[in-house]
Amino acid sequence: MTTAPATKKILLQRLEGLRQMPTIPAVLVPLIQHLQQPVDQFDVQEVTDLLAQDKSLAAQCLQMANSPLFGRWQRVETLRGAVVSLGFHHVSDIAMSCGVLNLLPRDKEKLDPVVFWEHSLGCALVCRHLARQLKLGDPGNAYLAGLLHDVGIIVNLWALPQEFRAAFEIAKAEGIPLHVGEERSLGFTHCDSGRLLAEHWNLAPNLIEVVSFHHSPEKASQNPELVALVHIADLLCRMSGLNYGYLEQQQVNLFDDAGFAILAKSSPSLKRFDWARLTFELDCYMDEVHNVVQAIYRT
Amino acid sequence: MTTAPSPQPARGTPATPEPDLVSIRDLIYQVAGIFHPDNKLSLLQDRCHRRMTELKVATLREYFECLTIRSIRQAELTALLNEITIGETCFFRNQPQLDALRRVVIPKIIEAKCDLPIRRLRIWSAGCSTGEEPYTLRMVLLEEAADRLKDWNIEILATDLNERSLAHAKQAVYGSHSTRHLTPTYKERYFLPYGDQLQVSQRVRTNVNFTRLNLSDDSRMTFMKSLDAVFCCNVLIYFDLTSKSRVVQHFFANLLPHGYLFLGQSESLFGINDDFQLVHLPGTTAYVKGNGAGRKTT
Repeated sequence: MTTAPATKKILLQRLEGLRQMPTIPAVLVPLIQHLQQPVDQFDVQEVTDLLAQDKSLAAQCLQMANSPLFGRWQRVETLRGAVVSLGFHHVSDIAMSCGVLNLLPRDKEKLDPVVFWEHSLGCALVCRHLARQLKLGDPGNAYLAGLLHDVGIIVNLWALPQEFRAAFEIAKAEGIPLHVGEERSLGFTHCDSGRLLAEHWNLAPNLIEVVSFHHSPEKASQNPELVALVHIADLLCRMSGLNYGYLEQQQVNLFDDAGFAILAKSSPSLKRFDWARLTFELDCYMDEVHNVVQAIYRT
Repeated sequence: MTTAPSPQPARGTPATPEPDLVSIRDLIYQVAGIFHPDNKLSLLQDRCHRRMTELKVATLREYFECLTIRSIRQAELTALLNEITIGETCFFRNQPQLDALRRVVIPKIIEAKCDLPIRRLRIWSAGCSTGEEPYTLRMVLLEEAADRLKDWNIEILATDLNERSLAHAKQAVYGSHSTRHLTPTYKERYFLPYGDQLQVSQRVRTNVNFTRLNLSDDSRMTFMKSLDAVFCCNVLIYFDLTSKSRVVQHFFANLLPHGYLFLGQSESLFGINDDFQLVHLPGTTAYVKGNGAGRKTT
């Protein structure tokens, strides 16, 4: 990574000195474990009970469970009902999503966090969609990786709100990727700060890689395919309505992309995949992501 | 267990679309290359229902049969495509496409041509209908003429098969439906009142050249040369696969190495041509020649 040592030191000092360092909600720890292991090794009832104890989180989960994003057919009124109708894996995805979204500060004065919520949730859904369509790895794990890929933004919003806002405004005004604006303005990116948080949270090595290298997938060694998948999903979101509140003014040819090359190694058929249709399919997430995030934000 | 707060998403919205509607969606994509994502399926359903009323057909399943196995299938497919694209012709129809042209594509074309002695930009509106698209392109480029395209010779070729459409385009008089997306600034800058309608000003009409052309006419297609961009929106959908493939191959030959092909919103070349590559532009997509146009910048 290219973090300027002096700036990284300042960042570390700020993080250490921060009283309200974003901590991973207790309920999410067993969920992350669950999402990375076979379901039969997990106590579903225990986690459902744990979720139900957090009234606010449980209410948010039900908002999302009743959104078309999660294949709702009939309205669910309780977490138990959600587990029965959607399956525990989906409910875990939903609880993780609400838990991570809650980590973003709600201070609109500094920077409206809704756009980052929308991007994270959108990226998680696109990762799951890609994993299913391209038959690349476990869709649940892809969803989790997409959801967590930008945790560095949470760190930046907590630790360096003014400086991060300046970097964001540069990126938005020039239509350049956020990490390029951060690098120019802060000397480091949300990949660097995200890595600090991911390590602090003891996330699995492949998730730490996703957080650290989703803008440079060629550097991944643990699970380059997962990192590449998130990289492409992130790129597609940023070029569409699931962006950070602005469209990057660039041209992306997936066939020239480093992440695409990684995925194509194990799946040569990717070059003949219908990327146009997949791009159009992603349109359907935009309105729903917006609706559900707005609904949860008001909860 | 916690009780849910009042529902936010519309209650009763099915998460799983009706299978027969999905079959029709997939058929339209396969045959015409236009895709309706799940959130636009109600639009397709509405169009199907219009045709079903006309045909006195009760169910989507029966209508799917009309489109696939009954003797009327070819005519009915054309009728449905007409319903899908009806009323789409207007100025500034696809704003993300125009924004991408202005902010990303034009700078890339300028970069690609910076070493050439002649500064010329040639854009083709293939299947221009009554002229809204080529005039829109001309207005967008005029906005750039004082800045990035200063001293550039801009030429817009506009072709269509239909003589009546071309006559309308040359007269350049439009009603409220066509002009509904125009901002007051554009109306004031580029239009003149013409009764209760608007006429495109002479400044815009200059350098927009209308000609009758059949895209299936191989000999004439060969002469369309040195193009920087081709716009062919919702035109190929009416061609069969072989004709479509031939037309697209002509576009490939007509375009300069850095050239761009723009199709209609949610229109795809998949299965038609392997030489063009899909590129993602802000909020839209286009096609470039492989290893031709600009690289990604991430």
